Amino acid sequence: MSESSEGEDVRELFVQDGVLLFSATASFINFVKSVGTLMITEYVDNRRFVEWKPIDVTVDSDIQDQEWAVVNTVERRVRTLSGNVLPEHKNRSKYLRINFEEIKSFRISDKSRRLTFNDGKTEQICTYLFQHGNCEHLVGFLKTLVKTVPSRRDKHLFIILNMNDPERERIDKSFAELNVCNDSNYVWNIWNFQERPVVTTLEAFAKITDLVYRVPQHREMDDDVKEILNKSITEYQHTSTTLSNGEYEVIDCVSDLPNRRDFPRGRALCSEQWNGVQDQEGRIEDSECLKLIIFQGGIVPSLRQEVWKYLLDYYPWNSTHSDRQKLILQKSDEYFSMKLQWKTMTKTQEDNFTDYKERKTQIEKDVTRTDRTIDFYAGDNNPNLQVLNDILMTYVMYNFDLGYVQGMSDLLSPILHLMQSEVDAFWCFVGFMNQLSANFDADQVGMKEQLSNLHTLLAFIDPELATYLDNHDSGNMFFCFRWLLVWFKRELSEEDCMSFWEVMWTGFPCENFHLLVCCAILDQEKQSIIGNNYGFTEILKHINELSGQLNIEKILNDAQGIFYQIKESDRLTDVIRVLLGLPVLYNSSLDNHETSPFVISIETSNESSNHPPECSVDDVRISPEEIQFEKSISSNFI
Amino acid sequence: MAKSYDYLFKLLLIGDSGVGKTCVLFRFSEDAYNTTFISTIGIDFKIRTIELDGKKIKLQIWDTAGQERFRTITTAYYRGAMGIMLVYDITNEKSFENIKNWIRNIEENASADVEKMLLGNKCELEEKRQVSKERGEQLAVEYGIKFIETSAKASIRVEEAFYTLARDIKAKMEKKLEASNPPKGGHQLRASEPQRKPTNWLSRCTIL
Repeated sequence: MSESSEGEDVRELFVQDGVLLFSATASFINFVKSVGTLMITEYVDNRRFVEWKPIDVTVDSDIQDQEWAVVNTVERRVRTLSGNVLPEHKNRSKYLRINFEEIKSFRISDKSRRLTFNDGKTEQICTYLFQHGNCEHLVGFLKTLVKTVPSRRDKHLFIILNMNDPERERIDKSFAELNVCNDSNYVWNIWNFQERPVVTTLEAFAKITDLVYRVPQHREMDDDVKEILNKSITEYQHTSTTLSNGEYEVIDCVSDLPNRRDFPRGRALCSEQWNGVQDQEGRIEDSECLKLIIFQGGIVPSLRQEVWKYLLDYYPWNSTHSDRQKLILQKSDEYFSMKLQWKTMTKTQEDNFTDYKERKTQIEKDVTRTDRTIDFYAGDNNPNLQVLNDILMTYVMYNFDLGYVQGMSDLLSPILHLMQSEVDAFWCFVGFMNQLSANFDADQVGMKEQLSNLHTLLAFIDPELATYLDNHDSGNMFFCFRWLLVWFKRELSEEDCMSFWEVMWTGFPCENFHLLVCCAILDQEKQSIIGNNYGFTEILKHINELSGQLNIEKILNDAQGIFYQIKESDRLTDVIRVLLGLPVLYNSSLDNHETSPFVISIETSNESSNHPPECSVDDVRISPEEIQFEKSISSNFI
Repeated sequence: MAKSYDYLFKLLLIGDSGVGKTCVLFRFSEDAYNTTFISTIGIDFKIRTIELDGKKIKLQIWDTAGQERFRTITTAYYRGAMGIMLVYDITNEKSFENIKNWIRNIEENASADVEKMLLGNKCELEEKRQVSKERGEQLAVEYGIKFIETSAKASIRVEEAFYTLARDIKAKMEKKLEASNPPKGGHQLRASEPQRKPTNWLSRCTIL
């Protein structure tokens, strides 16, 4: 695995080029401001070093002479610096070499471009400037070799914990207290794994092989050991970072999800089906069946205006013709009385009502720039803009606390266009906002939570991509912000957007399906992102430029495929189950917090130490809704 | 690999919603104006490479959503910005008053030495003006920054604004470089240089 030069008992564990020696102790004066290669090396006696060598200059004889002089100077100094006389090898002799034991802390600065090593006496040993990229990979690798803690005074300073340090002991102890398994043959030491990944892993595999093939009497492994072993492997995968330049590349787990199945879009809900499901008085009995048809194929455009009112909770599914007539009158009155509230506000009232005025101003600004390329809203003094304005203003009176936030006009626009009626559009908009209000929280907690959930799902589905994003400053998923805030309104044509939203409103096949839609798109773009080695800015640009390029049918197909891959995966965790609204293994302890991933994550961490979950997928309890869903897939959709 | 530019500057456009940040950017990057513009959701950026004193400077200009609600997200992008355009609308008093909030916002989230500039946009709408040019100038003096009135729609002084900001950043940067690299030595070993004398080592060992 390691690339040890011939005749040298040294392994280069990590190599990074283009590193400038920015400052160093007087001994290395001749190298300061030279560019070179920074390495982490391990010698045969297990001692590790951070080594830096200047780029070899071989152009003309003058330089050769100069280099030679420099080399000689340093050769002496290396020994004096480390105090550890090593077997000197001619071609490593000019290296600036620091023994791991000498490094007490290191500091990262200048946006991770600068790395300073310190010895324990407030002295800098040297500072490196990373000319290409940054020091994050190197530091990430370093942290797998030594245990570090950020300094309390300076968050950029990392203190290296001594092996005999009390803090290190405490951490070790806490692992010991987990009492993973009394027999160390089964579960290997975590520190070993971090320090000698290859050897330890091979050892572990050898042990497992022994277990399986040679020592049958050892097979009755305790269930809790099995679980912990499984868990420790998967958790390591989730927390590990890929070190692409390193000798040891921590390769993320190859996706072990079941194969993705194809879910071609079905036929849109048509009038015959729609009329067929209503009884004589106009009640819709099997709304779940209808929703499933819509989920599979959407709604024919001519029927949308009617069906959306149900999907957006304006009309109750079980209402009769006469119920709805009454409802329309009542809702119409309610709307106009709220509208009157703001219409009758005087200038003085407005001036004395800052919060109201702010909302009003923002609506005025946004209405004039909402979907003006669509005929329905195009042109100067278009009356539809006034209606758009009035609905949003009335919504402010309906839900003053939420008020108006940018993005809401985008959500209302297709609804009004379709409804062609101010009152209907308002109440449908209310229904939509009831689903999406968290997107517009004052503190943006709802958005941040969704972005974090999206990352959790992606890490489960495609750890390689999730890790790549983490390593490229994109782990916060901010580049998906626009997708989530207005449910792809800015990415899709109005027609596609309508088809997409109605599918989402059905609530099939699971909660947070829109996050799986995001995953499907990211999966589709994975090759572009990783293949082009996109960084933070390029990722954002690439994602923003997908606007108008997305094939919504394919994405829905893929997202559904991904859903079943997750659902049928044998490493499905409760965190993921909760995110998708799937029944969790331990209903008893989770009953009260079905929808809160925060609470659940605490629960699941307890479960690992106290109540080992069943290993078999067959034990997953299936809820009545799920049975209904499965049943309807096979029977109803014919 | 040859780079197509000498310097890369990250710039940021901030200011209240609707003051014309996106239009200013569109004017500068595409030399165009779109009457059917839309509000910015989240964040985006555009690139334009300009030339200053024979150096190619790639400007990466970030455009943010203006509404207060999104500030927790947009401020995440302040990091690493070298120049910030503070934009207000001369026909909107409130957007001018809010400049001081935006300045505070910068102080909290951007690096301390970021180059700033004040932009009074929509100056073609003279008949609707609410903020006089003098008040703009005065505010700029107060903060010790440059000020310019622009019109993205009528294409007035938008180029000038970005060139000015870029020039100021370049000057600041070159000054810094000089300070950290005394003229006596380049910043790496050069073939033609004579071997360094031990006397100048102090100047070469930079302490952070």
